Amino acid sequence: MNAEPHHNELFSAVIAPRPRRRGLVVSLALFGLLGLATGAALMVARAGRPYRAAPFVTETALTPDEEDPARVAKRAVQAATALERLRPRGAYLVVDSYRNRLRLYENGELKHEAVCSTGTGTILRDPRNGREWIFDTPIGERVIERKVKNPVWAKPDWAFIEEGYLPPTNPEERFDPFSLGDYALYLGNGYIIHGTLFQTLLGRRVTHGCIRLGDEDLELIYRNVRIGSRVYLY
Amino acid sequence: MSGSARASICTSLLAASAALAGEIPPDPGRVATLRLEAGIARTPAVYLLLDPPRRVLEIKARGTVLDSIPLLGIEVVTQQPLLGARATHPASVPAVWTIVAEPSDEHRELIAPVELRPLPKDDEEAAADDGSPAVPAGPTPTPTPAPEPAATYRAHLDGGWDLLVCERLPPRGFLARFGAAVKDGWVRLRGEGEDYPPAVALAMAAEDARRLHHLLRSGTTILVAAGAP
Repeated sequence: MNAEPHHNELFSAVIAPRPRRRGLVVSLALFGLLGLATGAALMVARAGRPYRAAPFVTETALTPDEEDPARVAKRAVQAATALERLRPRGAYLVVDSYRNRLRLYENGELKHEAVCSTGTGTILRDPRNGREWIFDTPIGERVIERKVKNPVWAKPDWAFIEEGYLPPTNPEERFDPFSLGDYALYLGNGYIIHGTLFQTLLGRRVTHGCIRLGDEDLELIYRNVRIGSRVYLY
Repeated sequence: MSGSARASICTSLLAASAALAGEIPPDPGRVATLRLEAGIARTPAVYLLLDPPRRVLEIKARGTVLDSIPLLGIEVVTQQPLLGARATHPASVPAVWTIVAEPSDEHRELIAPVELRPLPKDDEEAAADDGSPAVPAGPTPTPTPAPEPAATYRAHLDGGWDLLVCERLPPRGFLARFGAAVKDGWVRLRGEGEDYPPAVALAMAAEDARRLHHLLRSGTTILVAAGAP
Protein backbone atom coordinates (compact mmCIF):
# COMPACT_ATOMS: atom_id res chain seq x y z
CA MET A 1 0.00 0.00 0.00
CA ASN A 2 2.81 2.39 0.88
CA ALA A 3 4.85 1.51 -2.17
CA GLU A 4 2.31 2.82 -4.60
CA PRO A 5 2.81 6.55 -3.86
CA HIS A 6 6.52 5.99 -4.16
CA HIS A 7 5.95 4.39 -7.55
CA ASN A 8 3.78 7.28 -8.58
CA GLU A 9 6.47 9.75 -7.54
CA LEU A 10 8.99 7.88 -9.61
CA PHE A 11 6.59 7.84 -12.53
CA SER A 12 6.03 11.56 -12.32
CA ALA A 13 9.75 12.26 -11.93
CA VAL A 14 11.07 10.02 -14.72
CA ILE A 15 8.26 9.30 -17.18
CA ALA A 16 6.18 12.51 -17.18
CA PRO A 17 8.79 14.88 -18.74
CA ARG A 18 9.20 12.62 -21.78
CA PRO A 19 6.23 14.00 -23.82
CA ARG A 20 7.59 17.50 -23.23
CA ARG A 21 11.00 16.43 -24.50
CA ARG A 22 9.43 14.74 -27.50
CA GLY A 23 7.56 17.95 -28.27
CA LEU A 24 10.80 19.85 -28.04
CA VAL A 25 12.48 17.41 -30.42
CA VAL A 26 9.60 17.65 -32.89
CA SER A 27 9.63 21.45 -32.64
CA LEU A 28 13.38 21.55 -33.22
CA ALA A 29 13.03 19.20 -36.18
CA LEU A 30 10.25 21.32 -37.67
CA PHE A 31 12.25 24.48 -37.05
CA GLY A 32 15.25 22.88 -38.71
CA LEU A 33 13.16 21.80 -41.70
CA LEU A 34 11.68 25.28 -41.95
CA GLY A 35 15.19 26.71 -41.85
CA LEU A 36 16.33 24.32 -44.54
CA ALA A 37 13.29 25.13 -46.71
CA THR A 38 13.83 28.86 -46.22
CA GLY A 39 17.50 28.47 -47.06
CA ALA A 40 16.66 26.48 -50.16
CA ALA A 41 14.00 29.03 -51.16
CA LEU A 42 16.52 31.83 -50.68
CA MET A 43 19.04 29.99 -52.85
CA VAL A 44 16.40 29.49 -55.56
CA ALA A 45 15.17 33.08 -55.21
CA ARG A 46 18.72 34.36 -55.78
CA ALA A 47 18.63 32.79 -59.23
CA GLY A 48 15.30 34.46 -60.02
CA ARG A 49 14.75 37.79 -61.73
CA PRO A 50 11.16 38.61 -60.83
CA TYR A 51 9.28 41.59 -62.17
CA ARG A 52 9.72 44.71 -60.16
CA ALA A 53 7.42 47.67 -60.63
CA ALA A 54 8.48 51.27 -60.21
CA PRO A 55 6.47 54.45 -60.70
CA PHE A 56 6.34 55.72 -64.28
CA VAL A 57 8.55 58.75 -63.87
CA THR A 58 8.56 61.27 -66.68
CA GLU A 59 10.82 64.20 -67.38
CA THR A 60 9.61 66.88 -69.73
CA ALA A 61 12.27 67.44 -72.33
CA LEU A 62 11.69 70.90 -73.77
CA THR A 63 14.09 73.34 -75.32
CA PRO A 64 14.22 76.90 -73.87
CA ASP A 65 12.50 78.00 -77.06
CA GLU A 66 9.61 75.62 -76.36
CA GLU A 67 9.19 77.09 -72.90
CA ASP A 68 9.11 80.75 -73.91
CA PRO A 69 5.58 81.86 -72.82
CA ALA A 70 4.98 84.13 -75.82
CA ARG A 71 5.91 81.42 -78.30
CA VAL A 72 4.08 78.73 -76.36
CA ALA A 73 0.81 80.65 -76.67
CA LYS A 74 1.29 81.18 -80.39
CA ARG A 75 2.20 77.54 -81.00
CA ALA A 76 -0.80 76.36 -79.00
CA VAL A 77 -3.10 78.25 -81.36
CA GLN A 78 -1.27 76.95 -84.43
CA ALA A 79 -1.37 73.33 -83.29
CA ALA A 80 -5.03 73.50 -82.22
CA THR A 81 -5.97 75.08 -85.55
CA ALA A 82 -4.02 72.43 -87.48
CA LEU A 83 -5.77 69.63 -85.57
CA GLU A 84 -9.15 71.26 -86.03
CA ARG A 85 -8.63 71.30 -89.80
CA LEU A 86 -7.93 67.56 -89.81
CA ARG A 87 -11.07 66.61 -87.90
CA PRO A 88 -13.93 65.13 -89.91
CA ARG A 89 -16.85 67.39 -90.80
CA GLY A 90 -20.40 66.54 -91.76
CA ALA A 91 -21.48 62.91 -91.50
CA TYR A 92 -18.90 60.27 -90.71
CA LEU A 93 -18.87 56.72 -89.40
CA VAL A 94 -16.90 55.10 -86.60
CA VAL A 95 -16.66 51.29 -86.50
CA ASP A 96 -15.57 49.50 -83.33
CA SER A 97 -14.54 46.10 -84.66
CA TYR A 98 -14.06 44.55 -81.22
CA ARG A 99 -17.47 45.43 -79.83
CA ASN A 100 -19.14 45.24 -83.25
CA ARG A 101 -20.72 48.66 -83.15
CA LEU A 102 -21.10 51.21 -85.93
CA ARG A 103 -21.74 54.82 -84.96
CA LEU A 104 -22.94 57.64 -87.22
CA TYR A 105 -21.77 61.13 -86.30
CA GLU A 106 -22.84 64.46 -87.74
CA ASN A 107 -20.38 67.26 -87.02
CA GLY A 108 -19.15 65.48 -83.93
CA GLU A 109 -22.63 64.68 -82.57
CA LEU A 110 -23.62 61.03 -82.23
CA LYS A 111 -26.72 60.50 -84.38
CA HIS A 112 -27.12 56.74 -84.48
CA GLU A 113 -25.52 53.59 -83.15
CA ALA A 114 -26.02 50.18 -84.75
CA VAL A 115 -24.97 46.64 -84.01
CA CYS A 116 -22.82 45.28 -86.83
CA SER A 117 -20.65 42.29 -87.62
CA THR A 118 -16.95 42.55 -88.42
CA GLY A 119 -14.03 40.33 -89.42
CA THR A 120 -13.32 37.03 -87.67
CA GLY A 121 -9.55 37.44 -87.74
CA THR A 122 -9.34 33.93 -89.17
CA ILE A 123 -6.59 32.98 -91.61
CA LEU A 124 -7.49 31.07 -94.80
CA ARG A 125 -4.77 29.17 -96.68
CA ASP A 126 -5.00 28.15 -100.33
CA PRO A 127 -3.79 24.53 -100.53
CA ARG A 128 -2.54 25.03 -104.11
CA ASN A 129 0.06 27.70 -103.45
CA GLY A 130 0.00 28.54 -99.72
CA ARG A 131 -1.45 32.00 -100.32
CA GLU A 132 -3.11 33.36 -97.18
CA TRP A 133 -5.97 35.74 -96.46
CA ILE A 134 -6.50 37.27 -93.03
CA PHE A 135 -10.14 38.11 -92.42
CA ASP A 136 -9.60 41.28 -90.41
CA THR A 137 -11.66 44.42 -90.66
CA PRO A 138 -9.11 47.09 -91.61
CA ILE A 139 -8.01 49.77 -89.14
CA GLY A 140 -7.67 53.47 -89.90
CA GLU A 141 -9.44 56.08 -91.95
CA ARG A 142 -11.21 55.24 -95.20
CA VAL A 143 -13.70 57.08 -97.34
CA ILE A 144 -16.89 55.90 -98.95
CA GLU A 145 -15.92 55.45 -102.57
CA ARG A 146 -19.22 54.21 -103.99
CA LYS A 147 -22.82 53.75 -102.90
CA VAL A 148 -24.86 51.08 -104.65
CA LYS A 149 -28.49 50.06 -104.34
CA ASN A 150 -29.28 46.36 -104.94
CA PRO A 151 -25.60 45.46 -105.16
CA VAL A 152 -24.28 42.30 -106.79
CA TRP A 153 -21.31 40.66 -105.14
CA ALA A 154 -18.50 39.52 -107.43
CA LYS A 155 -17.21 36.71 -105.23
CA PRO A 156 -13.43 36.74 -104.86
CA ASP A 157 -11.28 33.58 -104.88
CA TRP A 158 -11.33 33.16 -101.10
CA ALA A 159 -15.13 32.81 -101.08
CA PHE A 160 -14.75 29.58 -103.11
CA ILE A 161 -11.59 28.28 -101.45
CA GLU A 162 -13.17 28.64 -98.01
CA GLU A 163 -15.96 26.32 -99.16
CA GLY A 164 -13.44 23.85 -100.58
CA TYR A 165 -14.09 24.74 -104.22
CA LEU A 166 -11.74 25.80 -107.00
CA PRO A 167 -12.36 29.43 -108.04
CA PRO A 168 -14.32 29.36 -111.31
CA THR A 169 -12.74 30.44 -114.58
CA ASN A 170 -16.06 31.76 -115.87
CA PRO A 171 -16.68 35.23 -114.31
CA GLU A 172 -20.45 34.70 -114.57
CA GLU A 173 -20.19 32.08 -111.85
CA ARG A 174 -18.89 34.65 -109.39
CA PHE A 175 -21.93 36.93 -109.32
CA ASP A 176 -24.16 36.75 -106.25
CA PRO A 177 -27.13 39.16 -106.15
CA PHE A 178 -28.36 38.12 -102.69
CA SER A 179 -25.58 38.19 -100.07
CA LEU A 180 -24.97 41.96 -99.81
CA GLY A 181 -28.55 42.95 -99.00
CA ASP A 182 -30.27 46.07 -100.34
CA TYR A 183 -27.40 48.57 -100.19
CA ALA A 184 -23.61 48.59 -100.30
CA LEU A 185 -21.13 51.30 -99.37
CA TYR A 186 -17.71 50.54 -100.81
CA LEU A 187 -14.62 51.45 -98.77
CA GLY A 188 -11.95 50.30 -101.23
CA ASN A 189 -9.75 47.17 -101.39
CA GLY A 190 -12.86 44.98 -101.43
CA TYR A 191 -14.16 46.14 -98.04
CA ILE A 192 -17.87 46.98 -98.02
CA ILE A 193 -20.53 48.06 -95.55
CA HIS A 194 -23.48 45.90 -96.58
CA GLY A 195 -26.51 43.94 -95.44
CA THR A 196 -26.72 40.32 -94.41
CA LEU A 197 -28.81 37.21 -94.85
CA PHE A 198 -27.91 36.17 -91.31
CA GLN A 199 -29.31 38.92 -89.08
CA THR A 200 -29.03 36.75 -85.98
CA LEU A 201 -25.24 36.89 -86.26
CA LEU A 202 -25.12 40.68 -85.95
CA GLY A 203 -22.93 41.74 -83.04
CA ARG A 204 -20.47 38.91 -83.65
CA ARG A 205 -17.15 38.70 -85.45
CA VAL A 206 -18.23 36.51 -88.36
CA THR A 207 -17.31 38.35 -91.57
CA HIS A 208 -14.33 38.25 -93.91
CA GLY A 209 -13.47 41.87 -93.10
CA CYS A 210 -16.59 43.64 -94.39
CA ILE A 211 -19.04 45.36 -92.05
CA ARG A 212 -22.50 43.84 -92.04
CA LEU A 213 -25.55 45.75 -90.82
CA GLY A 214 -29.20 44.93 -90.27
CA ASP A 215 -31.67 46.08 -92.95
CA GLU A 216 -33.02 49.18 -91.18
CA ASP A 217 -29.64 50.38 -89.96
CA LEU A 218 -28.15 49.85 -93.42
CA GLU A 219 -30.84 51.96 -95.06
CA LEU A 220 -30.40 54.74 -92.49
CA ILE A 221 -26.62 54.79 -92.98
CA TYR A 222 -26.99 54.66 -96.76
CA ARG A 223 -29.27 57.70 -96.71
CA ASN A 224 -27.18 59.74 -94.26
CA VAL A 225 -23.64 59.43 -95.61
CA ARG A 226 -22.43 60.53 -98.99
CA ILE A 227 -19.62 59.54 -101.29
CA GLY A 228 -16.46 60.94 -99.74
CA SER A 229 -17.73 60.63 -96.16
CA ARG A 230 -15.03 59.38 -93.83
CA VAL A 231 -15.13 56.05 -92.02
CA TYR A 232 -12.91 55.42 -88.99
CA LEU A 233 -12.28 51.80 -88.19
CA TYR A 234 -10.55 50.59 -85.04
CA MET B 1 -20.34 62.19 -79.62
CA SER B 2 -18.92 60.41 -76.63
CA GLY B 3 -17.91 62.34 -73.55
CA SER B 4 -14.28 61.48 -74.06
CA ALA B 5 -14.34 62.78 -77.62
CA ARG B 6 -15.76 66.06 -76.43
CA ALA B 7 -13.19 66.16 -73.64
CA SER B 8 -10.31 65.72 -76.06
CA ILE B 9 -11.49 68.38 -78.45
CA CYS B 10 -12.11 70.64 -75.49
CA THR B 11 -8.62 69.97 -74.12
CA SER B 12 -6.89 71.12 -77.27
CA LEU B 13 -9.27 73.99 -77.85
CA LEU B 14 -8.96 75.05 -74.25
CA ALA B 15 -5.23 75.43 -74.63
CA ALA B 16 -5.72 77.45 -77.77
CA SER B 17 -8.47 79.67 -76.44
CA ALA B 18 -6.56 80.32 -73.22
CA ALA B 19 -3.58 81.27 -75.29
CA LEU B 20 -5.71 83.56 -77.43
CA ALA B 21 -7.28 85.24 -74.48
CA GLY B 22 -3.92 85.55 -72.80
CA GLU B 23 -5.48 84.64 -69.47
CA ILE B 24 -3.83 81.39 -68.44
CA PRO B 25 -0.49 80.61 -70.01
CA PRO B 26 -0.81 77.19 -71.63
CA ASP B 27 1.33 74.40 -70.22
CA PRO B 28 4.44 74.10 -72.43
CA GLY B 29 4.39 70.31 -72.13
CA ARG B 30 0.77 70.16 -73.29
CA VAL B 31 1.49 72.47 -76.20
CA ALA B 32 4.49 70.36 -77.23
CA THR B 33 2.18 67.30 -77.11
CA LEU B 34 -0.42 69.09 -79.20
CA ARG B 35 2.19 69.99 -81.80
CA LEU B 36 3.38 66.40 -82.04
CA GLU B 37 -0.21 65.23 -82.37
CA ALA B 38 -0.87 67.71 -85.18
CA GLY B 39 1.95 66.01 -87.08
CA ILE B 40 0.77 62.46 -86.37
CA ALA B 41 -2.86 63.21 -87.24
CA ARG B 42 -1.90 64.16 -90.80
CA THR B 43 -1.84 60.45 -91.70
CA PRO B 44 -5.04 58.36 -91.93
CA ALA B 45 -3.75 55.83 -89.40
CA VAL B 46 -5.28 55.23 -86.01
CA TYR B 47 -2.90 56.24 -83.21
CA LEU B 48 -2.93 56.03 -79.42
CA LEU B 49 -2.52 58.87 -76.98
CA LEU B 50 -1.17 57.81 -73.60
CA ASP B 51 -1.93 60.49 -71.05
CA PRO B 52 -0.25 59.52 -67.76
CA PRO B 53 -1.61 62.43 -65.67
CA ARG B 54 -5.19 61.59 -66.72
CA ARG B 55 -4.54 57.83 -66.55
CA VAL B 56 -6.17 57.22 -69.88
CA LEU B 57 -5.25 55.70 -73.22
CA GLU B 58 -7.17 57.25 -76.09
CA ILE B 59 -7.72 55.66 -79.48
CA LYS B 60 -7.59 58.51 -81.98
CA ALA B 61 -7.56 59.35 -85.66
CA ARG B 62 -7.30 62.80 -87.23
CA GLY B 63 -7.29 64.39 -83.78
CA THR B 64 -10.67 62.88 -82.93
CA VAL B 65 -11.09 60.51 -80.00
CA LEU B 66 -12.69 57.30 -81.26
CA ASP B 67 -12.61 55.56 -77.89
CA SER B 68 -10.79 55.73 -74.59
CA ILE B 69 -9.52 53.13 -72.16
CA PRO B 70 -9.22 54.00 -68.47
CA LEU B 71 -5.96 52.79 -66.98
CA LEU B 72 -5.79 51.16 -63.57
CA GLY B 73 -2.10 51.97 -63.33
CA ILE B 74 1.02 52.93 -65.27
CA GLU B 75 4.36 51.67 -64.03
CA VAL B 76 7.76 50.71 -65.29
CA VAL B 77 8.36 46.98 -64.95
CA THR B 78 11.84 45.49 -64.98
CA GLN B 79 13.23 42.07 -64.20
CA GLN B 80 15.64 42.43 -61.31
CA PRO B 81 17.23 40.25 -58.64
CA LEU B 82 15.19 40.19 -55.45
CA LEU B 83 17.72 42.02 -53.32
CA GLY B 84 19.15 44.41 -55.91
CA ALA B 85 18.62 48.17 -55.86
CA ARG B 86 15.56 49.35 -57.76
CA ALA B 87 16.54 50.71 -61.16
CA THR B 88 14.83 53.89 -62.29
CA HIS B 89 14.09 54.62 -65.92
CA PRO B 90 12.68 58.14 -66.33
CA ALA B 91 10.85 58.55 -69.63
CA SER B 92 11.32 61.70 -71.62
CA VAL B 93 7.97 63.25 -72.61
CA PRO B 94 6.28 64.26 -74.81
CA ALA B 95 7.38 61.34 -76.90
CA VAL B 96 6.30 59.35 -79.91
CA TRP B 97 6.74 55.61 -79.55
CA THR B 98 6.31 53.24 -82.46
CA ILE B 99 5.53 49.55 -82.18
CA VAL B 100 8.17 47.51 -83.99
CA ALA B 101 7.09 44.01 -82.92
CA GLU B 102 3.42 43.39 -82.30
CA PRO B 103 1.98 40.95 -79.78
CA SER B 104 1.55 37.40 -80.99
CA ASP B 105 -1.55 36.33 -82.87
CA GLU B 106 -1.66 32.81 -81.52
CA HIS B 107 -5.40 33.06 -81.00
CA ARG B 108 -6.09 33.21 -84.73
CA GLU B 109 -7.89 30.25 -86.24
CA LEU B 110 -6.49 28.75 -89.47
CA ILE B 111 -8.74 27.37 -92.20
CA ALA B 112 -6.69 25.20 -94.52
CA PRO B 113 -8.66 22.94 -96.88
CA VAL B 114 -6.54 19.97 -97.94
CA GLU B 115 -7.73 20.02 -101.54
CA LEU B 116 -10.19 21.94 -103.69
CA ARG B 117 -12.89 20.34 -105.81
CA PRO B 118 -14.53 21.80 -108.92
CA LEU B 119 -17.52 24.03 -108.40
CA PRO B 120 -20.75 22.07 -109.03
CA LYS B 121 -22.57 23.14 -112.19
CA ASP B 122 -25.90 24.94 -111.94
CA ASP B 123 -27.83 21.90 -113.21
CA GLU B 124 -26.12 19.69 -110.60
CA GLU B 125 -27.06 22.17 -107.89
CA ALA B 126 -30.61 22.36 -109.16
CA ALA B 127 -30.88 18.58 -109.12
CA ALA B 128 -29.46 18.44 -105.63
CA ASP B 129 -31.50 21.35 -104.29
CA ASP B 130 -34.68 20.37 -106.08
CA GLY B 131 -35.65 23.95 -106.79
CA SER B 132 -34.87 25.38 -103.37
CA PRO B 133 -34.57 29.19 -103.22
CA ALA B 134 -31.18 30.87 -103.56
CA VAL B 135 -31.70 32.62 -100.25
CA PRO B 136 -30.79 30.22 -97.44
CA ALA B 137 -33.76 28.90 -95.55
CA GLY B 138 -34.01 27.26 -92.15
CA PRO B 139 -31.81 27.91 -89.16
CA THR B 140 -28.88 30.24 -89.66
CA PRO B 141 -25.44 28.76 -89.17
CA THR B 142 -23.94 29.20 -85.74
CA PRO B 143 -20.20 29.61 -86.11
CA THR B 144 -17.88 28.66 -83.32
CA PRO B 145 -17.11 31.75 -81.23
CA ALA B 146 -14.00 33.58 -82.39
CA PRO B 147 -11.08 32.84 -80.04
CA GLU B 148 -10.30 35.76 -77.75
CA PRO B 149 -6.83 37.31 -77.62
CA ALA B 150 -4.96 37.14 -74.32
CA ALA B 151 -5.47 39.86 -71.70
CA THR B 152 -1.73 40.08 -70.93
CA TYR B 153 0.75 40.61 -73.74
CA ARG B 154 3.79 42.58 -74.84
CA ALA B 155 4.62 44.72 -77.83
CA HIS B 156 8.15 45.88 -78.53
CA LEU B 157 8.74 49.61 -78.97
CA ASP B 158 11.34 51.32 -81.14
CA GLY B 159 13.26 52.78 -78.18
CA GLY B 160 14.25 49.33 -76.90
CA TRP B 161 11.41 49.26 -74.39
CA ASP B 162 8.39 47.03 -74.31
CA LEU B 163 4.78 47.94 -73.80
CA LEU B 164 3.22 45.47 -71.38
CA VAL B 165 -0.55 45.36 -71.32
CA CYS B 166 -1.81 43.56 -68.25
CA GLU B 167 -4.70 43.22 -65.87
CA ARG B 168 -2.59 43.52 -62.72
CA LEU B 169 0.74 45.19 -62.06
CA PRO B 170 3.45 43.09 -60.38
CA PRO B 171 3.09 43.01 -56.58
CA ARG B 172 5.13 45.45 -54.54
CA GLY B 173 5.12 43.65 -51.17
CA PHE B 174 8.30 41.82 -50.20
CA LEU B 175 6.63 38.48 -49.52
CA ALA B 176 4.85 38.47 -52.87
CA ARG B 177 8.07 39.42 -54.66
CA PHE B 178 9.92 36.72 -52.72
CA GLY B 179 7.37 34.18 -53.91
CA ALA B 180 7.74 35.43 -57.49
CA ALA B 181 11.55 35.25 -57.16
CA VAL B 182 11.40 31.63 -55.98
CA LYS B 183 9.05 30.74 -58.83
CA ASP B 184 11.20 32.49 -61.44
CA GLY B 185 14.40 31.11 -59.92
CA TRP B 186 13.03 27.58 -60.09
CA VAL B 187 12.15 28.10 -63.76
CA ARG B 188 15.64 29.46 -64.47
CA LEU B 189 17.36 26.60 -62.65
CA ARG B 190 15.58 24.32 -65.09
CA GLY B 191 16.99 26.44 -67.92
CA GLU B 192 13.63 27.83 -69.04
CA GLY B 193 13.70 31.43 -67.84
CA GLU B 194 13.22 34.35 -70.19
CA ASP B 195 14.56 37.90 -70.03
CA TYR B 196 12.51 40.79 -71.30
CA PRO B 197 13.47 44.43 -71.82
CA PRO B 198 12.14 47.01 -69.36
CA ALA B 199 8.50 47.69 -70.07
CA VAL B 200 5.97 50.42 -69.56
CA ALA B 201 3.14 48.46 -68.00
CA LEU B 202 -0.41 49.60 -68.61
CA ALA B 203 -2.86 47.93 -66.26
CA MET B 204 -6.44 47.87 -67.47
CA ALA B 205 -9.58 45.74 -67.30
CA ALA B 206 -9.23 42.39 -69.12
CA GLU B 207 -11.91 43.34 -71.63
CA ASP B 208 -10.08 46.60 -72.44
CA ALA B 209 -6.80 44.70 -72.84
CA ARG B 210 -8.43 42.33 -75.32
CA ARG B 211 -9.96 45.10 -77.40
CA LEU B 212 -6.64 46.95 -77.52
CA HIS B 213 -4.77 43.86 -78.77
CA HIS B 214 -5.58 44.23 -82.48
CA LEU B 215 -4.59 47.91 -82.46
CA LEU B 216 -1.02 47.22 -81.37
CA ARG B 217 0.24 46.45 -84.85
CA SER B 218 3.76 47.07 -86.12
CA GLY B 219 3.96 50.73 -87.06
CA THR B 220 1.23 51.88 -84.67
CA THR B 221 2.16 55.20 -83.11
CA ILE B 222 1.74 55.96 -79.41
CA LEU B 223 1.95 59.58 -78.39
CA VAL B 224 2.89 60.05 -74.73
CA ALA B 225 1.53 63.32 -73.42
CA ALA B 226 3.42 65.69 -71.16
CA GLY B 227 2.25 68.35 -68.76
CA ALA B 228 -0.77 68.74 -66.56
CA PRO B 229 -4.19 68.33 -68.21
